[in-house]
Amino acid sequence: MSGATELADRAGDRDPRVGLRAVAALRRLLEQLEAVQVRNARNQGWSWQEIANELGVSRQAVHKKHGRH
Amino acid sequence: MFERFTKEAREVVAGAVEQAEAAGAKRVDAEHLLLSLLDREGSRGSFALVALGFAEHKESVRRALEETRRRAGLSQAETDALAGLGIDVTDIVARVEEAHGAGSMAPGGLAEDRKSGHRPFGKGAKDVLAAALRAAATRRDRRIGDEHILLALTLRPGVPAEVLADHGVTYDSLTRVLYGAGEATAG
Repeated sequence: MSGATELADRAGDRDPRVGLRAVAALRRLLEQLEAVQVRNARNQGWSWQEIANELGVSRQAVHKKHGRH
Repeated sequence: MFERFTKEAREVVAGAVEQAEAAGAKRVDAEHLLLSLLDREGSRGSFALVALGFAEHKESVRRALEETRRRAGLSQAETDALAGLGIDVTDIVARVEEAHGAGSMAPGGLAEDRKSGHRPFGKGAKDVLAAALRAAATRRDRRIGDEHILLALTLRPGVPAEVLADHGVTYDSLTRVLYGAGEATAG
């Protein structure tokens, strides 16, 4: 517990490690949010192209990342 | 790489695959190695956990790991770091689950999506096994036992190390019960 509280206390300070870890955590949160939204769009019959347009990436990129292998 | 693993260590690895399967996970992760270690009995690793009073916390550990999974795999420390930026992960997860179902923010998706098929070892789990080899080498142990996997879990930054530390299991406390007080690193 102490480690977690300490991190929270120091989130605002200038230790690069704290800031970088927060960015890495945010990226993982973002990746998961993207997966949820893409899955939902596919379930609703959206094409990869339509999803790619909304995400602002290429169709190939979104299909490679989220398509079933 | 497994030829130097003891029978117990191999059982932990095989058990981790079963844990991943039961959870419907896409990959075998470090968390599954920890869950598998919790089920061990009579091994050096399980002896160390019992000596540290960890055995009675098994349910609490399982709950903590499950909570983490639901939170996009973010540890408590990571969740707190994001709270420091004004991002409430718990709130986000609650909203997404409301719209898309419980467990929708868990890495690998909903359990029912993936029931069977081959599960590769993820980077986290591979790193732990590599660290177990190094832990054994450091101690000049010829065989890699489940206690080395446990030591490795405390050494690799991540959810298992954090959950273990929250329950009093660290590299130092483990080396103390496994190898005696004189062997623990200073400080």
